Amino acid sequence: MARHYLNVQLTELEQELLRMGALVEDQLRAAVRSLTEKNSALARQVIRDDDRVDQMEMDIERRCLTLLALQQPLASDLRIISTALKIITDLERMADHAADIAKVTLRLEREAFIKPLVDIPEMARLASSMVRLSLNAYVHRSTDEAETMIRLDDDVDHLYAVIFRDLLEIMRQQPETVSQGTHLLFVANYIERVADHATNIGEWVIFMVTGERQELNN
Amino acid sequence: MAPTIRTEHLSVSYHRTPVLHQISLEAAGGEVLALIGPSGCGKSTFLRALNRLVEETPGARVEGRVYLGNMNIYAPSVDVTQLRRRVGMVFQAPNPFPFSIFDNVAYGPRLHGVTDAGELRRIVERSLQEAALWDEVRGKLRRPALTLSGGQQQRLCIARALAVDPEVLLLDEPTAALDPLSTEKIEELIANLRGRYTIVMVTHNLRQAARISDRTAFFAEGRLVEVGWTRQMFTAPQDPRTEQYLTGRYQP
Repeated sequence: MARHYLNVQLTELEQELLRMGALVEDQLRAAVRSLTEKNSALARQVIRDDDRVDQMEMDIERRCLTLLALQQPLASDLRIISTALKIITDLERMADHAADIAKVTLRLEREAFIKPLVDIPEMARLASSMVRLSLNAYVHRSTDEAETMIRLDDDVDHLYAVIFRDLLEIMRQQPETVSQGTHLLFVANYIERVADHATNIGEWVIFMVTGERQELNN
Repeated sequence: MAPTIRTEHLSVSYHRTPVLHQISLEAAGGEVLALIGPSGCGKSTFLRALNRLVEETPGARVEGRVYLGNMNIYAPSVDVTQLRRRVGMVFQAPNPFPFSIFDNVAYGPRLHGVTDAGELRRIVERSLQEAALWDEVRGKLRRPALTLSGGQQQRLCIARALAVDPEVLLLDEPTAALDPLSTEKIEELIANLRGRYTIVMVTHNLRQAARISDRTAFFAEGRLVEVGWTRQMFTAPQDPRTEQYLTGRYQP
């Protein structure tokens, strides 16, 4: 096998994954900001840019399939490429959730919030840093970084529980808040899903490094 | 049921230069075991030790034991001709004898005393069928074997090995000299022979080992580095040297 050529290809694959990850992270931040600032222009931008994420997913997928077909990689090379294929699926789903959040912005843009949005942006900040950390773990081939990142999922889950309880309480006391409260619950749920996808990426990184599949998100 | 073939602390040297060190390795009955490793790692010597062909090399010295089932094949009482009937071998380049197709396949059975013409015909047909060559050569059995294509010649050599009713087949890079289509036929044939024969195959083609073997043994510098399930070894090898070899980074 032309080792040098494959090395170059694997580095390019890594760069593309990082670019896709950075875009997904931007999408998440922008989606949550569009909500807290009730910025519908920004929300529409997030929804439009989801196509860019989809395009990147397809480009990386094609690149991986070409490498599999032409280089027929084995052992760690095989795991690196198959892990990339799994990661882009998780990234693409995260971006879908960002677009979902932006759609909530468009629904709520004319309403006053039933409570100040504090925990949701905090949860989103945690989840998007998990995205970045998961890709760092991929690039550094580090199980330690992956495991550290996965532990943040507990904080996300905790915040989700808090948000859930608070919103439920508000809706119980003020039934007219049920519509918005439900939308905000969805937003929290989307962010929680994003963190789960980041956890998946961490598990794939551990597989890539060790060759063992582990479920860490229990 | 095909027997296991197993080595215990098998060492081989040529003119006092060691080429294999203390190899303990088993091919289970009916499995396909692939031997891979860089050139000069000793895998072909290992294969040749399994039917005592290695002894034909001047200056060769074999230590340790090789068991076919329960029989130590290096025991003084063992008849080497009988042993090689039970442990057949196919080489890298197809090497049919300069006889007819029929006589190539009948050669072994005749050597082992089969004289009845009807019996010979049945053996030849059965062996050619098992080697997936029958449909291409029926009605042409009197033609010289050397008129066959390279891929057909190699399947003829496999038929010749099968004609004496072996239990183990040793394949030394059986497709190294063949085009992709012929290679595919041989690989399919090996897959069909799995279970009925214990097959030990040396190959330089890693993807071939991945495609058709149950387990793979990686040799380097005369030592067995790692042996395991092929599906495990080709996705997540345990030894760093195996990893390096499979990803094209191995430096002796």
